[in-house]
Amino acid sequence: MDRDTIWAVIVGQIREVVPELADRPIAETESMAELGLDSIERSEIIMNTLEAIGLDLPMVQVHGPKNLGELADLLHAKRHA
Amino acid sequence: MGVAAGIEALNVYGGAASLDVRRLCVHRGLDMPRFDNLLMREKTVALPFEDPVTFAVNAAKPLVDALSPDERGRIEMVVTCTESGIDFGKSLSTYIHHYLGLAGNCRLFEIKQACYSGTAGLQMAVNFILSGTSPGAKALVICTDLSRFALADAAAIQEWAYSEPSSGAGAVAMLVSDTPHVLRIDPGAYGNHGFEVMDTCRPGPDTEAGDADLSLMAYLDCCERAFKDYSRRVDGADFRDSFAYLSFHTPFGGMVKGAHRHLMRKLYKAKPDDIEADFARRLSPSLTFGQRVGNTAGGSVYLGLAGLLESVDLAAPCRVGLFSYGSGCCSEFFSGVVTPEGQSRLRTQGIGAQLDRRHALSLDEYEDLLKGAQVIRFGQKDAAIAPDTIPAAWAAYQGQGRLALEGMVGYHRQYRFV
Repeated sequence: MDRDTIWAVIVGQIREVVPELADRPIAETESMAELGLDSIERSEIIMNTLEAIGLDLPMVQVHGPKNLGELADLLHAKRHA
Repeated sequence: MGVAAGIEALNVYGGAASLDVRRLCVHRGLDMPRFDNLLMREKTVALPFEDPVTFAVNAAKPLVDALSPDERGRIEMVVTCTESGIDFGKSLSTYIHHYLGLAGNCRLFEIKQACYSGTAGLQMAVNFILSGTSPGAKALVICTDLSRFALADAAAIQEWAYSEPSSGAGAVAMLVSDTPHVLRIDPGAYGNHGFEVMDTCRPGPDTEAGDADLSLMAYLDCCERAFKDYSRRVDGADFRDSFAYLSFHTPFGGMVKGAHRHLMRKLYKAKPDDIEADFARRLSPSLTFGQRVGNTAGGSVYLGLAGLLESVDLAAPCRVGLFSYGSGCCSEFFSGVVTPEGQSRLRTQGIGAQLDRRHALSLDEYEDLLKGAQVIRFGQKDAAIAPDTIPAAWAAYQGQGRLALEGMVGYHRQYRFV
């Protein structure tokens, strides 16, 4: 699974969890907090993304990225580890 | 089946004053467009004449007073479970034991592991009963926690901001014995998960620091893995079918809802509508009191148990699944059986009515309390407390036989029933 696909999954999950963001462009330099998502929504998006890309690992292992681009990088690296 | 063990009687003390959490969030300028999803309403705020000892004694006294002198004499262990300690050496249990007038042949100590402390204490007491080393003995387990972190300075307020809306105060007292009317623990039915993580901590007496995302992730990981450890020990355990009701440690309701969703997706690939219906039926009753007092740390999973017993229709004995999590971190999933008889006993404590009587703080009153001018600090040697900082709250507090903190003399806390 390439990084672009993982990025598309992340964006799709954000829009599924918070439908208000359907038409808002989402940039890799933005964080979920900057999109106005609360901690519950942030964890749900990560949980759903892991499931969608077939990664089963502890949530704490994907903590740390400062923005969505870094999250995509990390998930891509984990997916190919 | 061998000796039964578990909670004979349980009471909650939810403090003397409360604050509307939505108003606090607006006041702090927090942008929470979907605030309702967080399932928060009010939180208890500790007043200057309250501390972890007064909360604990106020929760436990009705349970102890209801015992005969012979029964009271069988309380052979007082375990205080807290992350709000007042001394590095002397345990809270020594003060609590004194003000409850208990006998001297008693183990007195304090347990810490963030919000997991209550379960550590309960399991220690249950295993004392199950061991049979002192047949007929009882143990008193008291979870007591409060937060007043903004006292230190402006930086402390900043550190605390992530959890200020959810941080509450409260105590849960549990009498543990071989006549477990309120919750009969399933012996040997438990699962643990723990690992080192810096998600939230209390690095000083008046500060708390943390990372909301990391804490939530650790909680979710623990919930899944502690349950899996439970099912490894318990043949045929099924998260969806084995438990009529559930109570989870509740930093705030939205977090419990997130953990439930996480488990239902991981274990069953359940669909959103089914998850929502299951949450409403099995978990939302446990939020009854938590939504009113905020996060009570060590006691919150038992506050949840009290809330569900207060609010559900129980026609027959049924099994409850409990999940306890403490940052840092350690967690446990375990279970027990509740009965209609235990439910009637719990309801006689009038917990909801007591919460209704709390003084509703204005934001100005709350801000004044945060400055902490009237509050005894950790390590203070001598002090006297003016109890009437908020006159209406002090007036309402008196006349009910509750314990109040009066001051310090040579580090020794002085209390009085008022």
